[in-house]
Amino acid sequence: MTDRTRVTKDILWALALAGLVAAILRLWFGLGATTALSDAVPWGLWKILNMVGGVALSTSGFTVGFLVYVLRIERFKPFMKPAILIAFLGYGCSCLALLFDIGLPHRFWHPIVMWNINSFLFEVFWCVMLYFTVTAIELAPLFLEKLKAAKAVRFLHRIAVGVVIIGISLSSLHHSSLGSLFLVTPQRLHPLWYTPWLPLLFIVSAMGAGLMVVVLIRILWARWYDPTSVFGLPAARRPSVTAVSNGGSVSPYDRGPEGPQFPAIRSMASIAGSILAVYAGLKLLDLLLYGGWTSLMAGTWESWLFLGELALTALIPAVLMAIPRVRRSPAGVAIAAGSAALGLAMNRLSVGIFGYFHDIGAIYFPSLVEWAVALGVVAAAGLVLFWVGEHFPVFGERPPVSRSTAGLFQLSYGSLRQLWKTALTNSLHRVTYVAVFIIPVAFILMYPPYRADSSPADPIRPARGVDIERTVLEIDGDHGGVMTRFAHAEHQQRLGDSASCVFCHHVCLPGDKSTPCSRCHRRMNQATCIFEHDFHTRAVAEKEELGGIHPENHSCMHCHGESGLESPTTARSCLDCHKEDMYPMQAASQAEDLMHAISFREAMHRTCVACHERSMLVFNRPDLSECRTCHQSLQPRQPQESTMAHRGGEGLGPM
Amino acid sequence: MYALLVDVTKCTACEQCVAACVREHGLDRWQAEHDRATTRDGLSSHRLVSIQDVDDGRFARKSCMHCLEPSCVSACLVGGLTKSADGPVLYDRDKCIGCRYCMLACPFQVPRYEWDKTQPFMVKCDFCPDRLARSEPPACVAACPQGALSFGTREKMLGEARARIARSPRRYVDHIWGEKEFGGTSVLYIADVDLASLGWPSPEPPPIPSLTEDLVHKTPFIGFGVGLGLIALNWIVKRRNLLNSERQKLAEQDREEIWRPGDEEYD
Repeated sequence: MTDRTRVTKDILWALALAGLVAAILRLWFGLGATTALSDAVPWGLWKILNMVGGVALSTSGFTVGFLVYVLRIERFKPFMKPAILIAFLGYGCSCLALLFDIGLPHRFWHPIVMWNINSFLFEVFWCVMLYFTVTAIELAPLFLEKLKAAKAVRFLHRIAVGVVIIGISLSSLHHSSLGSLFLVTPQRLHPLWYTPWLPLLFIVSAMGAGLMVVVLIRILWARWYDPTSVFGLPAARRPSVTAVSNGGSVSPYDRGPEGPQFPAIRSMASIAGSILAVYAGLKLLDLLLYGGWTSLMAGTWESWLFLGELALTALIPAVLMAIPRVRRSPAGVAIAAGSAALGLAMNRLSVGIFGYFHDIGAIYFPSLVEWAVALGVVAAAGLVLFWVGEHFPVFGERPPVSRSTAGLFQLSYGSLRQLWKTALTNSLHRVTYVAVFIIPVAFILMYPPYRADSSPADPIRPARGVDIERTVLEIDGDHGGVMTRFAHAEHQQRLGDSASCVFCHHVCLPGDKSTPCSRCHRRMNQATCIFEHDFHTRAVAEKEELGGIHPENHSCMHCHGESGLESPTTARSCLDCHKEDMYPMQAASQAEDLMHAISFREAMHRTCVACHERSMLVFNRPDLSECRTCHQSLQPRQPQESTMAHRGGEGLGPM
Repeated sequence: MYALLVDVTKCTACEQCVAACVREHGLDRWQAEHDRATTRDGLSSHRLVSIQDVDDGRFARKSCMHCLEPSCVSACLVGGLTKSADGPVLYDRDKCIGCRYCMLACPFQVPRYEWDKTQPFMVKCDFCPDRLARSEPPACVAACPQGALSFGTREKMLGEARARIARSPRRYVDHIWGEKEFGGTSVLYIADVDLASLGWPSPEPPPIPSLTEDLVHKTPFIGFGVGLGLIALNWIVKRRNLLNSERQKLAEQDREEIWRPGDEEYD
């Protein structure tokens, strides 16, 4: 029998190992250096996708518990163990991701002893912690049975209903509270997603999508290990109708290819589909009640995202489950379930990340480390799911028989010799191969220094070192590693305080006193054109509309005259208009020259050297005009080495 | 309860307040200057105060607003933030776990994080508690050469703001930003233009904790309610199943009695 899980497992191993590398890098270098998080986006992929989304997709434990233990629906009983296992692993990997997300992971236990009962996050923490314990208790019999601890198993079975009820109560709280977390940002979250109904929408969608996750994994498991139980026998090998054992509802005309376990799966998916249909209804009602409607009609990318996400979560699954043909095929049900799970994840990302983009005015895209950890913990949970499913009676009365090629973890089975042989030829061999390849690649790809800078890329870089009080400027124009220390405060004092500013700062930008030289003198050794043509066209046109200067002229003619030739040569002088607000330069009277800022080096030299040469004569200090007066070959101070290195490659290229 | 009054009409953006703040808190002055250009509003973990452009030639000091009903205090899950009786919202480094919910919760987006450190903490303005203890105003207020910042009890500052508006009604907009917005703040603004661009919504929004605290206080009861409801439902279903099975048994007995009367000899 071929091992159908092979490719899946290899992918999971690769993701998990890459995640491990990323997690180590995150712990070693810190959040700022390895993630794209910033002051504008404090909550990123790990919180939103892993915590808010992952927990929501692991609702299976409580919804199936409700169906099996409270409503006592017998045919859903086989779902109980998979559901609890999924919940346990889902919560486990969410919490693991969160551990990497918080700034001080070693303090994760603080909320246990330090309370703030006003905080929804505090409530979520406690409920998730308690519920995780509950799933562990619910899962315990599986392992205790293997250990033959009959007494403990009996005890756990006796308290099962109570434990399930506690679990459901906790779930009803934290699944809604995950939505309430975002109630604190009414001004910032996009109105399509911000609503007082957030808690309600979160819990309803989580219930539906959580059931869909169980359905999906149940179908996938059958596909991997026991196709006939769900997919039925191939048409050729299908027995005659009289021998079909899947209940009396199958008529001779019903050719649906389904196994004995599929009807229960289908009815669970139908329940989930109904819940999701209710969710869609609530969502539309909410749009009408809380004014999201106008935002939806605005036709921005958020509207389309909203519609797409709603379609994936609710409309597609509900409609698919309503079509008899689709409902009867395991593949159709699996597509509906997958769509719901994907849609739910999208919804949580929208509420937690995309919904803030319009407010931030920037886009957050997670770094490679963030992706690797986020997917890595999920992949690790998947591997554990495989291992538990293959060694314990979770998905059936007995673990699947096709264990011979199932995975690395059968190490606990069989004789030592056999084990060695299997491991070498199959799984271990592959896993080692994956590890040898993935770990270095992941390391190289994700190795810091890395920093996704939230500020827009700025080709003009200010002088490298300026301190806040402007006592000293460290000018290293070409970022060549040799700088000039200019005692700013000292010069200012000597030349006569605020009156002396204009000696050096020939201020062209009104109201701006601290424009760096590099704002205009953009290149080290070349003049830069600084004339902003578009700005002037606009400004002149605006003034004309207001009936200001030369209302009879077209804006082009305003500067270029009536010759019709529009080139720098025909333009009038800048000083014609800017009589007062521009510092008149002795050397440059031509219009073209005024459009250009001289090179940075030239600007620095002209400013300093001219004055120094004068002072040399006045104060009789010949040393003032020497090069080494300023160029002392000092190494520039590196402010905060880690940050500087990580901020968009500071220090590269000319100024 | 102290408050700080910012008169936007007087600020010239000389940034003496920023320099004084950096000096007072012992921050990295080089990094502070670097962050002026690279951050959105000039605030970073090295700059607790910044000057923002309001309009052409108008500037305003921005820092933590020290709200009267602070969202961050309500949001922090370990209670690491507290509103002190003196006015400032204070941060306890020893409690913080670094979840950054305060940053999400703050309506002014003020809290900053030390992204450049491996053991990062949250950073924000604290009204210079050491100086307050010596009954001196915060460093930024003392440093302002233009008299754009004033410091005193909140009542006094509100009175001062009203007096200034009354004295020159044509100069100021008749509104004190921070008096009622988000339940009131301890940093107040008066200006000759609307300050909506600084993130002051109008109409005056309610305090953020009022949106969540009522709900979060109800949650334990909701949990208990759900639990009791489930116990009741469980009992009903159990009893219904029991009755059903008994009825079935009776029906079977009946059937046996009807269809096989006196069957004893048969067995």
